Amino acid sequence: MSFGGGGGGGRGGRGGGRDAKGGGARGDKKDAGKRYFFRRRKVCKFCADKIDYVDHKDVKLLSSFVPERGKVLPRRMFGTCAEHQRKLTLAIKRARNIALLPFAAD
Amino acid sequence: MSDRVYEILFIADPNLGEPEVDALTEHIQGFAEKEGGRIQKVEKWGKKRLAYNIRKHQEGYYVLIVVEGKPSLVKEVERRIRVTDGVVKFITVRVDEELRKAEGRRAARARVEAKRKRPATPRPSPAEGEEVPL
Repeated sequence: MSFGGGGGGGRGGRGGGRDAKGGGARGDKKDAGKRYFFRRRKVCKFCADKIDYVDHKDVKLLSSFVPERGKVLPRRMFGTCAEHQRKLTLAIKRARNIALLPFAAD
Repeated sequence: MSDRVYEILFIADPNLGEPEVDALTEHIQGFAEKEGGRIQKVEKWGKKRLAYNIRKHQEGYYVLIVVEGKPSLVKEVERRIRVTDGVVKFITVRVDEELRKAEGRRAARARVEAKRKRPATPRPSPAEGEEVPL
């Protein structure tokens, strides 16, 4: 049970690392001001949800990674890991072939 | 050579009625069976809107057939589907390898999780023992 909290502790550790970069002075107002655009680190949805097989038939899942225009977006947009981005791209292309996803929406 | 698993997904003409689509599906299953294939699954998704127009159709009946068989099966079945009326478009994908890999990853993750849990379990048990007298 207590080990569930261990995962959270790990994340806290990462936050600590960030503080260390700011010179270690906690609550330094000047330093805090510089960090106004802190972005939450994106996690690969496929890794997080433990999706092992990216299915080209799963339109619901795929369409969440395809914008209105129907493009395949770069990894940096969704934070997918390299392996899953490769599989996602292939799945999108297959889905397009069978008209589940558009090539280009007009 | 062991047999492979293929998913044949095809779009039937939306102007066909439900029984005609069923007949068409059976027809295509027949092609696969004649080539020594074993049908594992048949799924009818029903009428869906196409993402783009194919042969002036805006919608189509989606049918999925999962079949196990030899590579030569795909060649023959695809050839036959091409000359069959009523099929707007189709795609055949080999899935056995990817599914096997996925299964391996799932098993590996289960092993890792089991390993992580085992050292943690002896700890809560004495705590539970204390709670019982209370």
